[in-house]
Amino acid sequence: MNRIANFLTGRLLSARWSSALAVLLLAGVAEAQGKRWGPMPPASDYGYRFSELFWLITTLCTISFAIVVILIAIPMLRDRDRKGHKAKYDHGSALHDKRLTAVISVITFVVLDAWVLVIAMRDLREAYWNVPEVDEPGVYQVEVLAQQWAWNFRAAGEDGEFGTADDILETNHLTVPEGRSVSFQLTSKDVIHSLFLPEMRMKRDVNPGAINEAWFKPIQSGEFTILCAELCGYAHYQMHGHVTVLPEAEFDAWEAGASQLAAAGYDPEDEEAHWAWDWEQ
Amino acid sequence: MTTATTTSPAALAAREEVKTRVDVTLGMILFIGSWTMAFGTLFLSFLVLRQRVGVWPPEGIALPSFPLASVATLLLVASSVGLHRAVKRWEAPDSTAKSGAREWRFGVGLGLAFAVLQGALWADLWAAGRLPQSGLYESLFYGLTWIHGLHVVVGLACLAWAWMGLASGRYGPHRLSTVSNIAIFWHFVDAVWIVLYLGFFVF
Amino acid sequence: MSGDHIHPEPTNFFRKHVFSGDHKVIAKQFLWFGLIWLGIGGLMAMMIRWQLANPGEAFPVLGPMLFPRTDGVLDPATYNTLFTMHGTIMIFLGLTPLMIGALGNWCIPLMIGARDMIFPTLNMLSFWTVFLGGVVGFISLFVPLGATEAGWTGYPTLSTTVGGVGMGETLWAVAVFLIGASSIMGGINYMTTVIRLRAPGMSWQRLPLTVWGIFLTSVLNVLFIPVIGSAMLMLILDRVFGTTFFVPASIMQGAGGGDPILYQHLFWIFGHPEVYILILPAWGIIGDMLSFFARKPAFGYRAQVGAMVAVTLLSAVVYGHHMFTTGMSAMLGESFMLLTMIISVPAEILFFSWLHTLWKGNLRLTTPMLFSIGVIFVFGLGGLTGIYLATIGTDIFLHDTYFVVGHFHLTMAASALFATFGGIYFWFPKMFAREMNPFLGKLHFWLTFVPLVAVFCIMFAMGYAGMPRRYYDHTSAEYLVSLQHMNKAATHAAFLLGAAQLIFAFNFIKSRWFGKPATQNPWQVGTLDWTMETPVPYYNFKEIPTVHTGPHEFSHPDLPEGQDWIYMTERIGASS
Repeated sequence: MNRIANFLTGRLLSARWSSALAVLLLAGVAEAQGKRWGPMPPASDYGYRFSELFWLITTLCTISFAIVVILIAIPMLRDRDRKGHKAKYDHGSALHDKRLTAVISVITFVVLDAWVLVIAMRDLREAYWNVPEVDEPGVYQVEVLAQQWAWNFRAAGEDGEFGTADDILETNHLTVPEGRSVSFQLTSKDVIHSLFLPEMRMKRDVNPGAINEAWFKPIQSGEFTILCAELCGYAHYQMHGHVTVLPEAEFDAWEAGASQLAAAGYDPEDEEAHWAWDWEQ
Repeated sequence: MTTATTTSPAALAAREEVKTRVDVTLGMILFIGSWTMAFGTLFLSFLVLRQRVGVWPPEGIALPSFPLASVATLLLVASSVGLHRAVKRWEAPDSTAKSGAREWRFGVGLGLAFAVLQGALWADLWAAGRLPQSGLYESLFYGLTWIHGLHVVVGLACLAWAWMGLASGRYGPHRLSTVSNIAIFWHFVDAVWIVLYLGFFVF
Repeated sequence: MSGDHIHPEPTNFFRKHVFSGDHKVIAKQFLWFGLIWLGIGGLMAMMIRWQLANPGEAFPVLGPMLFPRTDGVLDPATYNTLFTMHGTIMIFLGLTPLMIGALGNWCIPLMIGARDMIFPTLNMLSFWTVFLGGVVGFISLFVPLGATEAGWTGYPTLSTTVGGVGMGETLWAVAVFLIGASSIMGGINYMTTVIRLRAPGMSWQRLPLTVWGIFLTSVLNVLFIPVIGSAMLMLILDRVFGTTFFVPASIMQGAGGGDPILYQHLFWIFGHPEVYILILPAWGIIGDMLSFFARKPAFGYRAQVGAMVAVTLLSAVVYGHHMFTTGMSAMLGESFMLLTMIISVPAEILFFSWLHTLWKGNLRLTTPMLFSIGVIFVFGLGGLTGIYLATIGTDIFLHDTYFVVGHFHLTMAASALFATFGGIYFWFPKMFAREMNPFLGKLHFWLTFVPLVAVFCIMFAMGYAGMPRRYYDHTSAEYLVSLQHMNKAATHAAFLLGAAQLIFAFNFIKSRWFGKPATQNPWQVGTLDWTMETPVPYYNFKEIPTVHTGPHEFSHPDLPEGQDWIYMTERIGASS
């Protein structure tokens, strides 16, 4: 199956560049007017996959729909009711009609569905649902506690253990290192939320009473967006924030500093702030 | 109109009755199908939620009384048997209005007895301090048995309605569809209870 | 039961017009009921669009009247109530009563050759139950602690007391339950009627596609409404009695142990068949109407029926595509993706059949025909966008964005609505013995079609840009501010769309009382409903007809010269 996906990807390599170009062009034009028509360019290592697949489907759908519109327009113009004009009496139950229907169905399924299915399966297994192993080295682990209406992020800090005094806590803001995989374990305090990082092309629901997993790897530094993508009450639209991606060296410095500050300011009495769980499968 | 082989009023009435009986029974079967999906959903939810919990039934809490529930189950099954026998007697070719009356009364009486024991089961658990909000087991037990209980109440009302109709001569061998369908509904209520009994008290 | 004999006509006003068992009266009750609620739901949509384009500004004219406390501005809680009720109303109180209640009730007995539905009293009860459901839903808007705010999907724990206490959400659940009960009653009635009361000669292979569509919808109603009924019961128990079906232990301090995701499974096991419940009647109706107005047989009648049956059978096994981001296992997700793509194949077959029905026909572009062709267009567009959502690789980004909103409005709302309008224009002459104005009808079509396509296509762009749905204000998050121009454009188109419906309202009401008297068969169509005089007598058929011909025998070569149609009770080639 991998071979099929790679074969199709080969075909798409040009699509990757052209879709990236399209996105950048649109983004550029739009920025000039203060109006945007598409998403901000991808900032994660698997982010390119979304636009690539999106534009592939768009191409296929545009061609299909154009055919449909033509097949509607021709009868509407050519076969209108007028004097002397007769309809062709045909129930469509002849063998060749059934064959035609079957053939067109198979072709449509293969072109519109199966092709896209194979690529999606590859994307899921290689990227979106390919969460790093629990003990994989080099992965930056973040525990996320969503609540009405804020995002609480917890990093293990310098000691690498969750639930200790030097855990770095941020609210509605997350600092991560560039070029390292960021792995999330997510849960909610109250209702269902959904962590949506549009530039990273990442989205995962955050459920109360359960822990979900997600991940992404930022490939450029800068400020990016956090949005909530599951209705969670009347301030659902206000549950947004930012992700700051720092280059490796800067991040290490930040982490050390933040860790020390956290340890210094640790209040053993503050029960509510001590949400954390052991990072296991 | 209809293809008639004999046109005597009695024969026509009898044929009308068969056609009507099929019509109404078909509707009843669809209704039972629909309600099976409803209780199926509840029971599926029970199974899903139950298997998420490590220990079942939860330890250290008062549970509904197994003897009480078992006796209630036997009464309900017997009640269904009674109703079934009653309908069969009325369906026999030379039946009269009285033919199934005794079995019907027997069935209704046992049905009432079941309802009383069901009430006792709840009262017993409630008195032991286990309320709907006490936890998952109670949620499932009260939730499912209350919904079933609503159907028991409706069923008993229908059984009483049928009884009155039979006594007044409105229903009888000449017009059995309503009565037989009410019996089908009662059998359904019985079957759902058996599933609940197995789920809560046996497995 | 309504068998072969003609029962006496009721004389009492209440028995004749209010608690009538006559399917034609009940159809009209559902029709007025559905149209009024469609208007209310549409007004809510206008308010939603207004707020999105002009955040924080008072809704013109009606705003200060309806929301005096905030001087006509919609606050976030009100806004959430509006989109919740918009969805609930349009689906349950608008489209369902119109297509299934009104058109289903009108068409089935008349098209199969029966005097009435097989259970007239059940029929009457089904109307008053949905009416009661509407009343409860309406009341739920005014309770002290606030109305429902959890979306028409009502996901826990937001819809449980964790999200908010009070009777608002509870009464919403009760309303949905009652409306569901009405649908089950109707479903049992329709199925039994079609199985048992078809006239002699009306075989399953001669059944109009309209009847097939409504029959299959009834199968789904009977089987899957109970699922949401039970889910609502569990939700009500959680809210009122403190049970924990959907509330996890972490929130209840250990006493709980429920699962909010269980609700999502139950909701969508109902929810996906529900969208087919809404579209099957539409597919049936246009299957017939394209044939009627192309003056040639419905292409691939067997294929169309087979496709509808296939979709009915598969409808419940694709539901997981609503839940791809919940954290399901990869195997489960991929299975749902594959199944969802497979279920598109029967829909594609229907599509080819419709296009082939038009091809080389003799097209009469009447108002019902325009709406039927409109269905092909909007369903095609909407259906194709389903591919993006079935494909998990794109769905991850597009889920809960406006892309989804655009998709389901085109496939579900627009398609079903167009078929409904088409049906109303088509059957109006027989229902009310008057004709609707054809010019206004065509104007209504074009002024609806263009803005509608505009609104929902803009939403595809919004979704692609990453704009989430169910947001009160898209200018709060910096990422979304530069997308605000799309909100404004969509709102302009939406208000045009809303205004165009006034043409229909005017035409409908004026024609109902002052329209030109209708002839017996203005469309020259051969189905049994058109064999009767106008207005239709309360007993429908004086004598139960015998059927000899199919419903789509247009332009048959053996028909007499100058006539391209034939009644189903006649024979082709017999001396006329």
